[in-house]
Amino acid sequence: MVHLVQSLVDGLMQGSVLSLAAVGFSLIFGVMGVVNLSHGIMVILGAYIALLAKQFLGLDALVALPFVAVLCFLASYGYDRIIVHPAIRRSNLLSSLLVTYGAALVIQNVFTLAFSPDFQSLRPAYANAHFRLGGVVFNSLDLISLAASLILIALLSLVLNRLPIGRVIKATAEQSLAARLCGVDIDRIYAITFGLAGAFAGAAGVLIGMLYPFSPASQEQWTIYGFAVVVLGGIGSASGALFGGLLLGIISTLTTQFIGAAYPNAMAFLVLVLMLVIRPNGILGNAFSGSR
Amino acid sequence: MKIDRRDFLKSSAAGAAFLSTGVFPAAAQKPKTIVFGGSIPMSGKEADTGLNVLQGYKVAIQYINEKLGGVKIGGDLYELKLQMFDDASDPQRATTLVQKQVDDGVNFFLGSFSSAIVLPSAAITERAKRITVQAGGGSDQIFTRHYKFMFGMFPRASRQLVSLVAMMKSLNGGIKSCSLVTTNDSYSKTQADGTIAALKEAGIELKNVYRLPPTANDVSGVVSQISGAVPDALVCTTHEHESALIAQQLASTGTNIKLLFMALGPESKAFRDNLGKLGEGITNIQYWEPSFHFSDPIFGSSQDYYKYYNSVSKRHASYQTVAASACIVSYVRAMQEAGGLDTEKVRDKLAALDFESVYGRIKFTKDGDGDPVFMGPAIGQIQNGNIAVVFPEKVSTAKLLFPKPKW
Repeated sequence: MVHLVQSLVDGLMQGSVLSLAAVGFSLIFGVMGVVNLSHGIMVILGAYIALLAKQFLGLDALVALPFVAVLCFLASYGYDRIIVHPAIRRSNLLSSLLVTYGAALVIQNVFTLAFSPDFQSLRPAYANAHFRLGGVVFNSLDLISLAASLILIALLSLVLNRLPIGRVIKATAEQSLAARLCGVDIDRIYAITFGLAGAFAGAAGVLIGMLYPFSPASQEQWTIYGFAVVVLGGIGSASGALFGGLLLGIISTLTTQFIGAAYPNAMAFLVLVLMLVIRPNGILGNAFSGSR
Repeated sequence: MKIDRRDFLKSSAAGAAFLSTGVFPAAAQKPKTIVFGGSIPMSGKEADTGLNVLQGYKVAIQYINEKLGGVKIGGDLYELKLQMFDDASDPQRATTLVQKQVDDGVNFFLGSFSSAIVLPSAAITERAKRITVQAGGGSDQIFTRHYKFMFGMFPRASRQLVSLVAMMKSLNGGIKSCSLVTTNDSYSKTQADGTIAALKEAGIELKNVYRLPPTANDVSGVVSQISGAVPDALVCTTHEHESALIAQQLASTGTNIKLLFMALGPESKAFRDNLGKLGEGITNIQYWEPSFHFSDPIFGSSQDYYKYYNSVSKRHASYQTVAASACIVSYVRAMQEAGGLDTEKVRDKLAALDFESVYGRIKFTKDGDGDPVFMGPAIGQIQNGNIAVVFPEKVSTAKLLFPKPKW
């Protein structure tokens, strides 16, 4: 019983970070219909900015997180304005696949040149603090990451549902032509969406850097996880990403515990395939344009 | 310029060394070129160790060309040219790059890093009867296919941890039980299989074997199982990323183990720097260490090599780096003994090599891997952020910290 509870706890902890890492992927796909294959780069960018803040300013990663989010917002905003959107405008949405994939490869190599391919870590001194409750181990860093992820996802949900800019983003996602007719600067809204996605991915990158070793090559798996999470949870909403991430985390740890440590990825992608067959919109799928 | 007695003696000794090794200054004649081809991970998952290997190839070639003016083989002077391409840690890309170079007529190859990449590339070079000498692939599958043109600096994986088990046994009952974590790739898997057999033979109880996927991003499930049944020793036949992950997550749950071994990772300075205090006491296999004294036909001695390496490279030398340099030394030696560049003859001379190099004694088995007796590893341990050799006693530089310091 303790093993089951421990697996569920570990799954929730792991899943919360997956959710935060994927929420931007979901947002961009939901609003713009763009499958951003450079999403993992945004995650890793966050981790590297926090690393620089740690090395040069001595900032703890958690303290650096808001600044990292702002910088990632700006970087992603510019990325959409300069690279992604012009490519889509000249061709079609499919070209975004090639553009973002190509950009991911280029940026990964730039990171490798700048930071070396060596693994890095943002692990703070308090990372080992833990306590036991009824035989179940709770680690302080996991709990901090869980709390940070839930707060940030709630914040995004608040922005999308309560603030005027959120309503404009949703309106653009629902009917871009109608939004344009109402005077909305669609290109700017797309760039802001990209920026928001980058900010949340960067914030997730900080938490990931605290929890796991990372290198430029890690970006690929965070893009794949982003894709898996949104397919499971549903595209275009913060709650869908949250649900998908938690589900993926729990599938992973339960599989490790009860089937074998070699199979969590296999099981996760089996569930993914089943989901695509049974419910292509994901569990909390909605009617954002990208998912239709 | 004044030449004192010491300089004269140094010059004379260097001159004698050149004459005995067939290495001459370039002024004598215009050198021909020997191309060493291949691929290496300069980016991607394996790039960290890949760059360590590449640096070993580079530095050895740089020394021969710049310091010695080339190498004399069969009466002709040659300079060496390195032609390595980035395979991005992708076996498929590596095979394409190697095939292209085979088609272009490259006869001598240096290996990539990781068995998953070396293995498919070896099939191509073997089919074309082109030689590969490598310091990056140890899987048994590379050396049990009766390849004739493939040579590796390490013993095959299943034989690599025999000395670890011998060390466990020498702890006089300090290790009664052991669990294994391995990744599901050809190197780690065969290394684990060999360790399981050795543990059985040594009478050490094998508690559990946890098999991770080739790339694992979270091992909390495995760590929670380990913390539920803590063994005396945990042997991780894992690559650098997974090794770091396991150490971090064991620390996160306060799971203390008396002996923690990680096959790949601790030899890298970046790994040790990133783990910081968490790394203290982790053991690893250590094929080479700056304190080891070996003579070498090209560099003079391992100390001279290490001094030169540090003067031209900013990247810290791991044992893979030195093994990679030894690949070049072995090639040169075999070519000189063959008296030319005929691949069949060079291959035969490589197979018959038995000499002391910067890396230690070079002697391959009939299957092409490093002889487990002469080229087998010592056991290292992270102590004060550096690697200290702790077993066997005759080469040890420090005493084993046992049990390992708590997290």
